[in-house]
Amino acid sequence: MTVRRFHAEIGTALVTAGVGLAAVIGASELGFGWEESGPQPGYFPFYVGLVLIGASLWNLMRAFVKHRDAMVQERASGEIEEPFLPRENLGRIGTFLAAMTGFVIATLTLGVYVASAGYIAWSAWRQGGYPLWKSLTIGIVFTVVQYVIFETIFKIPLLKGPIEPLLGIY
Amino acid sequence: MGNFDLLMHGFGVAITPMHLLLMVGGVLMGLVVGVLPGLGAPNGVSLLIPLTFALDPTSAIILLSSMYWGALFGGSTTSILFNIPGEPSSVATTFDGYPMARKGESTRALTLAFMSAGVGALTGVIVITLLAGWASNFALKFGAPEYFAVYFLAFAAFIGMGSASPAKTLVSLTTGLLLATVGMDTVTGEIRLTFGLDQLLSGISFLVVVIGLFGIGELLSTVQEGLRFRGVSSRIDLRDVFKTIAELPRYWATTIRSGLIGIWMGITPGGPTAASFMSYGIARQASRKGEPFGTGRPEGIVAPETADHSAGSCAMLPMLALGVPSSATAAVMMGGLMIWGLTPGPMLFATKPDFVWGLIASMYVSNLIGVILVLATVPMFAALLRIPFSIIGPMIVVICFVGAYTVSNSSFDLWLVLLFGLVGYLFTKLDYPLAPLVLAMVLGHKAENAFHQSMILSNGSLDIFFSNTLVTSIMVIALALLVLPKTLQLSSRLRRRQPVE
Repeated sequence: MTVRRFHAEIGTALVTAGVGLAAVIGASELGFGWEESGPQPGYFPFYVGLVLIGASLWNLMRAFVKHRDAMVQERASGEIEEPFLPRENLGRIGTFLAAMTGFVIATLTLGVYVASAGYIAWSAWRQGGYPLWKSLTIGIVFTVVQYVIFETIFKIPLLKGPIEPLLGIY
Repeated sequence: MGNFDLLMHGFGVAITPMHLLLMVGGVLMGLVVGVLPGLGAPNGVSLLIPLTFALDPTSAIILLSSMYWGALFGGSTTSILFNIPGEPSSVATTFDGYPMARKGESTRALTLAFMSAGVGALTGVIVITLLAGWASNFALKFGAPEYFAVYFLAFAAFIGMGSASPAKTLVSLTTGLLLATVGMDTVTGEIRLTFGLDQLLSGISFLVVVIGLFGIGELLSTVQEGLRFRGVSSRIDLRDVFKTIAELPRYWATTIRSGLIGIWMGITPGGPTAASFMSYGIARQASRKGEPFGTGRPEGIVAPETADHSAGSCAMLPMLALGVPSSATAAVMMGGLMIWGLTPGPMLFATKPDFVWGLIASMYVSNLIGVILVLATVPMFAALLRIPFSIIGPMIVVICFVGAYTVSNSSFDLWLVLLFGLVGYLFTKLDYPLAPLVLAMVLGHKAENAFHQSMILSNGSLDIFFSNTLVTSIMVIALALLVLPKTLQLSSRLRRRQPVE
């Protein structure tokens, strides 16, 4: 399916309005009025949340107005409203996002070194069409450089998983 | 001591072998960051901040600011050679830079860009040198209401002067303010807006948000557009370089005009991106003869580059003197300053002259280093872009996530980066500006504290923001910036429409 800009505008406006609403609710639990020492802790977020809701509703309305104009034009000239994400782009971005999410999950379970070697090798192999051994070399070389920069030069420990201890790295 | 003596003292601080090495390193890293898609100046600086904790603040700010100059140069390189702006602020450079390079004059285009960028940066630094002492004396008169008024001015300027729709800027701004309130409240000690999530107790780091918004967000846009690089030759011919330098004085009018635009947009929170577009637009309107813009006109390169760099360096002045950054990158650097334990603002000039003047002096030196280095290394960095995206893309992803992790060693931040990556992608596609969100996150606490203190002073009356000439005039300017630009646009549009109806 093709996502239209109209849908994306509406979705975003609703989400930002939701964030504003959450802030207003959270802030009213803290109290947004006045006490002896000045404004209560919820005062600032409460009113900022209200402004956010207002601005989001305005954007929502603008999206509908624009959509109506575009529909009129579409009927008059046959020109279809600007697509936000054509199908092939949706596929490409979906694959990239899925791989990235996979990388995050792998980082949390296997540690960042194994995850990044695997992720980079997989991308070079499946997306770049490189032979498997070349892809693995790229992934491993990058990971070794990363290890040297962070753990050896800057002495910053990164997330490690169950595999590093087997190689004698802590 | 006068400004000149202070500056000389600053040179003494800045020119040490260690600092020169940091400048070269910073500029080179900035070039990499500027050339690669997905890594821009704001998140390049964010990624580097955790690594600067070991350095003393003066060395750290020299490294970060050098990286910023490098990123600005790198962004223009890809604009000219590949028609891909490496930085948002170098979009306007593609209009005439790429056509000129396509005509086989890539050395000329690059030299024009780098030299006018250097001139622009120099103009900016000279303005900072002249105004720094004055600005900090002025800022010493500030109390809580004045500070809140200045923050309000910064926010108002974004809404009124930004190119995006005001409601969208407002959404981005308020989202940033709300994100800044998450976690422990510094005034009352209450835990706010964590919704029961323990990971949010210490708040949301703006560094993590910047890495997500600008890094992952930009990568997603790159992927979606299906990046294809069609580069032109990146060989640099030294003879052409000198020929072009000799040609530069011919564009003096464009240079001066663009420098002034850059200074104005850098000091008021317009930012380098707006400055480069505005300068390009005005240069196009001002030209009467010759071939049209967009076909490789030299003025079309000189104008945006000069304005971009003079705005970029001028943005440091309000950050240092008032604690109000006027670009996303300056906001990130200011966040870094606070992490190192420095408070940006007028007292910085009094208590840390070495830091302030060392930074200002380093801006002269590192921009000079930048121009030379970028000319020498263009072919090398252009080669970086010829690496297929399927290899370089995932590497940038890994760098972004690892960088976010090093901010506070929290694995929850990895999810935040992913989330803000999606937000950044959506916001960019739908023309929501990102800079106000970052600015609001960095300034959120300070703005709220200033507001809180003013309210305590006045017992809850908003009159305090109009109680003396100084605060009143700041508020009036802020309100004018908020309302006037869009109203003028609207009325001129209405006037144009009338004859038709």
